[in-house]
Formats: sequence, C-alpha cells, structure tokens
Amino acid sequence: MLLITCPVCGNVGDETDFHYGGQAHIRRPASANPGEVSDEAQRDYLYVRLNPKGLHFERWRCDRGCAKWFHMARDTVTMEIKACYGITELPPREIIAQIPPSNPWYGFFDQRQAEPASTAAEPKNAELESTGER
Amino acid sequence: MSEPDFASPLHHRTDRQSPRDLAIGLAEITDLGMIDLRGEPGDDRFLAAIRDCLGVDLPRLPRSSARHEAVTVLWLSTDQWLVLAPRADTPALVQALQVKLAGLHALVCDVSDMRCIIRLSGPEARMVLMKGCSLNLLAPEIKAGFVKRALFAEIAALIHVVDDDPDVIDLFVFRSYAEFAWEWLLRTGARNALVELYGEQNPPPV
Repeated sequence: MLLITCPVCGNVGDETDFHYGGQAHIRRPASANPGEVSDEAQRDYLYVRLNPKGLHFERWRCDRGCAKWFHMARDTVTMEIKACYGITELPPREIIAQIPPSNPWYGFFDQRQAEPASTAAEPKNAELESTGER
Repeated sequence: MSEPDFASPLHHRTDRQSPRDLAIGLAEITDLGMIDLRGEPGDDRFLAAIRDCLGVDLPRLPRSSARHEAVTVLWLSTDQWLVLAPRADTPALVQALQVKLAGLHALVCDVSDMRCIIRLSGPEARMVLMKGCSLNLLAPEIKAGFVKRALFAEIAALIHVVDDDPDVIDLFVFRSYAEFAWEWLLRTGARNALVELYGEQNPPPV
C-alpha cells in the first residue's frame, strides 16, 4: 500500500484515498485542424503509453482531500515515491537527472525544459488537456 | 403547478430520531441547507464579497471550517467550500451570493437536497466512525471544526466535527446512500457491537 502526501492540500493517506490517473505529461497533438493530425500521432496520443521498470511519472488525484490532480514520480520496482509536484509543473530537475538511459523516459523532458516557461508548463487540469490549444 | 414538497432522505424511516439501543446518539439533520461555493481564493474581490454576504472569512486552511451565527463554511478544496445555513434561509442566501459575485469567476449552487446529514453524538461516536474509515479520529488534531472527506463504509462521505466536548460529528453522505449509511450506523453503533481496540494500547504481556 502506497502512503501518499498530496502536494496541494497536504493530505496524508493511503492509496485508497487517492485515485490513479495514468501516465503523466501526455500532450495532445497540437493542431487547430484535426484532419492534419496523422493517424500515428493520434494513436500514440490515445493509446501508446510508457511502461518503464523503474522511475515512472504518473497522475494522481487527491480523492479524499482537495480533489485536485497532481503529478507523482514513482519507482515501479521499489514503489518509492520520489516526488509529488503540481499538475502544471515538470518534474524537479534532480528527479529528471536520475532517469537512467535504459528508461523510456530518458530524454523525454529535454525539449520541454528548453521551452519558455509559459509553454513548457503542463495544462492546468485534465479538461484543458483536451482543448488542443497548444 | 403544485409546489414541490420537501422530504428528507430518511423521512420514511420511523427510527430517524433516537432509534433503538445504540451506544451513540444518532439523528438526521433536516433543517440545514447546503450551498456549493467555488471561486478564486487569490481574488480579493471574491473574498470581500463572501465576507459581506456571510459575515465570515472563508476558511483557507485545508480541513478547517468557519462559523458565524447560523452560517458554517466547510473547506472542501483550495477553491471550493460548502456553506451550511438554515434551510429556510438558503434560497435567499444563494440569491444574495449570486448578486454579490456577479462578474467574478465564481460559482454558487444550492445543493441542499444533494446530501444527507447524519449527526452522531456521544463519547463513542469516533469509535463507531472509525470502524468505517481509515481516518485516525482519535488523533489530537481532530478537534471541533475539523472537516475531511473520507471513504466511509465504501462510500464517499464528508466528516465534520461540530463539537468535541462532548463529541458531535456530522456525517455527510450523498442522498442515494443515506439509507445504507443509516443502516450501517444502526448495526455498527449498537451497544453490543462496541469495540475498544483503537488508539494507544498496552503492549501484550510477554
């Protein structure tokens, strides 16, 4: 059983107090015209997920606290929770530096870290994610 | 058109006041209305408008509440509160809030009939509640005013400690679960179902 602390409201609870929301940092293909998005890009966006052994980045919801979504960096082998951070944020730099080359997340954040802060940030909540504005 | 008749979620139960042989006091609270309030806690105009209307500052600390005369405000999230007011005053209060908050990024909604409030009282109330949720209600920080959502007996619930000397605890459950929660409390709160297993215990003899 995972013991989780919500970064938004500080609620401490076991994982039944929280809800798992799948892989984090997924971006919808940015286009004003859905017809321009290739089938492959749409397939990857909808279905293709990383399945690392080791460090993983996930979305969780504080179900029995503030009901807000947040991000978590978790080790899928040791179950250690490395960091919890805001839903609009990228992982802490020291966590990104820990990703080994064998992990599919390796290099994933390089481009996003280089982007200006306004676009590098994740959308504010799950609803925004589907507006495809970026 | 005929006016809708108010019927509380447990109105059909004959035992909804002081029922059976229980270790706790159990009653349905029917005279409270509830208002769902959402807004931007960083917006001073929003906070000022709420203070004008309710006479009390919104509780900003997680799991806290604030009270002013007949109005109680429970913290639900960083941008969401549940306002409790006498049921008769609720429609007027909703209207006043909507007028005050016009033009601001805020939401006011009368949800009086959405939830059922079950009031537990007496020294065993915490023990009985703890049989249904993983919350440590015996912890010293759980005092009067404490508010927490919880998974209670497998259903979503909200726990509000109204008073801690003696204990009065309100349990909010969704209306459709009221019957289940009530039955659960009748069985678990029965005098012969009591347990004394929670909290600090003496180590077993070696």
